[in-house]
Amino acid sequence: MTAMRSPIHTVIVDDEQLARGVLRELLAAHEDIEVIAECGNGFEAVKVVSEKKPDLLLLDIQMPKLDGFEVLDLIGGDVTVIFVTAYDQYAIRAFEVHAVDYLLKPFSAERLAEALDRARDRIATRQKMPAGLAAAGRARQTPLERILIRDRAEVHVIPVEKVDYIESQDDYVSVKTAGRRYLKEQTLGELETLLDKDIFVRIHRRVILNIARLVRIELAVKDNRVAILADGTKLPISRSGYARLKELLK
Amino acid sequence: MHPILSDRRRLGLYLLGWLPIGALLAAGLSERSSWLASAAIVLPITAVFAFISLNAGYLCRVFPIDARASVWRTVVVHIVAAAMASAIWIGLGSLWVAALAAVAPALDAGATFGAQRLLIFVVGALLFWLASILHYLLIAFEASQQAERRAIELSLLTRDAELKALRAQIDPHFLFNSLHSISALTTVDPAAARRMCLLLAEFLRETLRLGSSNRISLADEFALADRFLEIERVRLGARLQVARDTDPRATACLVPPLLIQPLVENAVVHGVSQLVDGGTIRIAARRGAATLTIAIENPCDPDRPRRNRPGFGLELLRKRVVTQFGGDGAVLVEEQPDRFRVEVRIPAEDAA
Repeated sequence: MTAMRSPIHTVIVDDEQLARGVLRELLAAHEDIEVIAECGNGFEAVKVVSEKKPDLLLLDIQMPKLDGFEVLDLIGGDVTVIFVTAYDQYAIRAFEVHAVDYLLKPFSAERLAEALDRARDRIATRQKMPAGLAAAGRARQTPLERILIRDRAEVHVIPVEKVDYIESQDDYVSVKTAGRRYLKEQTLGELETLLDKDIFVRIHRRVILNIARLVRIELAVKDNRVAILADGTKLPISRSGYARLKELLK
Repeated sequence: MHPILSDRRRLGLYLLGWLPIGALLAAGLSERSSWLASAAIVLPITAVFAFISLNAGYLCRVFPIDARASVWRTVVVHIVAAAMASAIWIGLGSLWVAALAAVAPALDAGATFGAQRLLIFVVGALLFWLASILHYLLIAFEASQQAERRAIELSLLTRDAELKALRAQIDPHFLFNSLHSISALTTVDPAAARRMCLLLAEFLRETLRLGSSNRISLADEFALADRFLEIERVRLGARLQVARDTDPRATACLVPPLLIQPLVENAVVHGVSQLVDGGTIRIAARRGAATLTIAIENPCDPDRPRRNRPGFGLELLRKRVVTQFGGDGAVLVEEQPDRFRVEVRIPAEDAA
């Protein structure tokens, strides 16, 4: 271990105080590891990671509000992750999102040291997770049950049933729900593949509609149709969008 | 459709069975006429009667012999039916004989048949009764086979449910998490680590002991749940609160073992542990005149993903209640955005 190296800024995320305690205790033996924060849930983790930009995250999977994968999905790929969990069934998914290691509770000090060695290697070689790789792990959980949106340090969780419609805006999608709009950095096409095809339909190049919100379809001019929603909103329907809509309503 | 008519092989065997009867009848008639004449008369009409007799099967199903059936009504029905079947047979026989007489007058079929009409009628009625008796036997045989199969199915289902309940009882993740807590406590609070070891050992021993009994008191079941909650409280701290509202007359009742424990576990795993600030699990038990009602309620996260809901455990519980109590038991689930409640109703049974 070289004293020259700058300390590795580390954040512990676990909803159990005892579990955080054992990590803190075992990490104390590693001089280059500096625990800069501890979080008790996923929301806090997203906030702390975006504010403090740590190098290493020791991340539990089963947590209130957001699970470990959702946290990772929201914070992007700029941090090295070691998952710490009592569940072995997420191991494959963990490596798909490029976690450096997967510690099963309870673990020994030696096993943790091994994981830290891997993390040091990853950090030293600056192998950051390429953008979009977090999405690979996320894509396995389809259809999507909730849309997660990070607004700076704040996280919004929107169950898909509560979404009215989604519009594309340049590189973002704007998710409309109960009178509010949320912006998320994602393409409409990608989101479309993740959503439940029995509920959501792409009625236009720029619009995905929650079919439950549709009240009626009006013919505007000539071939142009307009979807009228329960709250009076009007959305354009393209010709191919109308075909998909008819197929779903059949 | 009649089971004999629906299968060609069975039908062939059945008609073959009638062949000796036809031969006997033909032999009876041949004293007065030639063999050829009696065979020509009797064999076709015997085949016809073979089909008429199948109607006894319908009769037997409509008038089953069971505790509710009146013996006299059954006897009268069968006398009338046999007489009618035989009369129809004689009628069809007469038509056939008339046709024979027209085609081959040399056989003198009319005279032969006419002379033996009464004999044929009596034989027909007796044969129809025989068919009825055979059908009753067949029905009884089928019923006993079905009852046997149902009993096997039921016992398999019960045992399966018990086994799964026991296996699900000791969730490995619960064990791993508890061991991890012990591992954490060993340095910071060795006394607490030891207490946790003892709690865990007691919980495991009690689970195995209670699981092997047929009925336990609800008080014992709740005591097991308490140990579980105490262990989970070490892990979750103040986030896990429990409120109890139980009637001593209810806790004295007998219940199948490990009926409630999975519900308490669900309330922790899918409810309180998924809330940042935790919450209170409410356990209630009431005893009515004939019914024991147990309710477990927990707060939950309104934004929880759909997958994070109890499914398997509840299904198992429902199966156990149905197999053990039939229509007298019920499992009612009330799911709201921020609250989950399960109520179990079973017949109240006092400890002897």
